[in-house]
Amino acid sequence: MTRYFPPQVTLRALLLLLLIALLPVPTVADPNSPPIKVATTIGMVADLVKQVGGERVVVDTLMGPGVDPHLYKPTAHDASRLASADVIFYSGLMLEGRMGDLFERLSSAGKKTYATSDSVDRSLLQQPAQFQGHYDPHIWFDVSMWAQTVPTIVKGLSEADPASKATFEKNGAALQAKLKEIHEWCRKKAEELPREKRILVTSHDAYNYFGRAYGFKVVGLQGVSTVSEAGLADMTALVDLIQKEKVKAIFVESSVNPAAIRRVAKDAGVSVGGELFSDAMGAPGAMREGFDTGTYEGMVKHNLTIIVEALR
Amino acid sequence: MITMLPSFDLQRVFIEPWTTGFPITIWIVVMGILVGTACGWVGNYLLLRGMVLIGDAISHSILPGLVIAFVVFNSTHTIAMFAGALAAGVTTITLIEFIHKRSRIKVDAAICIVFTTLFAFGVVITQMLNTGGAVHIDAECILYGEIAFVALEPPVHLAGMALGPASVLRMAVISLVSLLVVMIFYKELLITSFDAALSKSMGIRANVWHYGLMLALSLIVVSAFEAVGAIMVVAMLIVPPMFAAQLSRRLPIRFLLTFLHSCASALLGYHLSVWLDCSVAGAMVVMGSLLYVIAWGMTSGSRIIKRWAPHQQEIVPQS
Repeated sequence: MTRYFPPQVTLRALLLLLLIALLPVPTVADPNSPPIKVATTIGMVADLVKQVGGERVVVDTLMGPGVDPHLYKPTAHDASRLASADVIFYSGLMLEGRMGDLFERLSSAGKKTYATSDSVDRSLLQQPAQFQGHYDPHIWFDVSMWAQTVPTIVKGLSEADPASKATFEKNGAALQAKLKEIHEWCRKKAEELPREKRILVTSHDAYNYFGRAYGFKVVGLQGVSTVSEAGLADMTALVDLIQKEKVKAIFVESSVNPAAIRRVAKDAGVSVGGELFSDAMGAPGAMREGFDTGTYEGMVKHNLTIIVEALR
Repeated sequence: MITMLPSFDLQRVFIEPWTTGFPITIWIVVMGILVGTACGWVGNYLLLRGMVLIGDAISHSILPGLVIAFVVFNSTHTIAMFAGALAAGVTTITLIEFIHKRSRIKVDAAICIVFTTLFAFGVVITQMLNTGGAVHIDAECILYGEIAFVALEPPVHLAGMALGPASVLRMAVISLVSLLVVMIFYKELLITSFDAALSKSMGIRANVWHYGLMLALSLIVVSAFEAVGAIMVVAMLIVPPMFAAQLSRRLPIRFLLTFLHSCASALLGYHLSVWLDCSVAGAMVVMGSLLYVIAWGMTSGSRIIKRWAPHQQEIVPQS
């Protein structure tokens, strides 16, 4: 599709064109029509969308492997990827920062934009006692919670491509069953460790839901954000805790600077158990511990496996 | 190094942005020009006063403002964050002036004392609020806008006509404020900027003008942060005025050059970011700085030629 603009084109025409460009693209109810274009923010959302959409979707992920959503810097190309997408899925709960504002405005302007966390049971979300209404966004580490995002994906894809609604619903149900199995796998894997050994020390507080789901006590070093640095008191308290509880290993994360946690490991005399994936997945096909960390399933299983093996 | 560069494709880098990509390109470039011009114009005065670092200072000292606004409003909504940042910006500038006027400390040192202290204060109170990973209080996540996404915003409608993305319109108003400040206060600002003693003898109250300019400046800077993020604002307060100062001594010419520089760096920077698929704001700053280096090379080059060949001027017969 190539449009030609004469140089003397008026401002009014430009504005009109902008409006047209932002209008939702009408859907064609033909199963042989080209697949719908989907843009997503994080890889964990993209993975589920691919499984629900199957051959009916082409999925584009803005935040690639190893990109921390808090530090993501978009390019002009990313803007056109979003503009040309038929549907946008993002995780929500402020994970994407101010991009979340943009998505909300796009949604109210009629563009098919969905926060996948919308269909997650609000009573399961954790919020700090002092600051009600600000939810912890790292919901993908409790597989049973992440499975609750599937209905939003099915709904969003069906609205963009009503002809394939039945396919999306079938794939969605299959995906939820698969995620349930992964959840059970994780529970069993976690139970290989006695409860008192299930203490997970990492660099930032991304694992609260993980801890609740699989019975780990989670201690983060960094606290507020991946940008802020750990305080001295935090480090000392952490070293004391590791020694008192006889924790065998602590962990670094793929999208957070490992320096502070390495220091704590050295001071406490324990080993660094390995690198966990937190806010971003691995590269597609990057195998570790026998799991493809470029997929959601592989990432979750990889994380739990190295945690259990190191703490055993 | 060469293999890291994507191949240069004229069609992709220069033609497509202005054809199929037009609705996105135009607003990003317009936004770049507006930010460069609004920041550059006030930057010209800051350059005369040796205060160009103030943009960087405010980008750090807004942190406590954001944290306090978050605690007061229990929200990370942009309006609340903007209010906090603006209050912190005004506080920064007032403190800098106060320290500079009431002590022997020079203005650059005063800027550094104020912004490092406020930033450190912000870091301390951020860690006191233990939000358990739920809230990310840093300007990058909750205040700074993104120039690459301006064209995606639904357009604002006025009397049935689509005007453009809200953030571009807001930035246009801010540029207008910058232009008005520059025009209305031209003479006063010029004299007070160059010579505080002379202005006092002429009955111009330097303090009042200065505070007025500084208030307008904090509004411009914080609005620009909200629109396009820090890197571009900090750079555009400095680079276009430096470019203009390199080429002319006359203030009106400098304002014109500042505007031209903003246009060129926005355009060239946009195409650089399309080519390399990198951050738009970063690319615009890189191109702006490159233009400055070229202007510097040209002027110092011509000066060297003049120094080399003074006798040539004597040889040239007068006509």
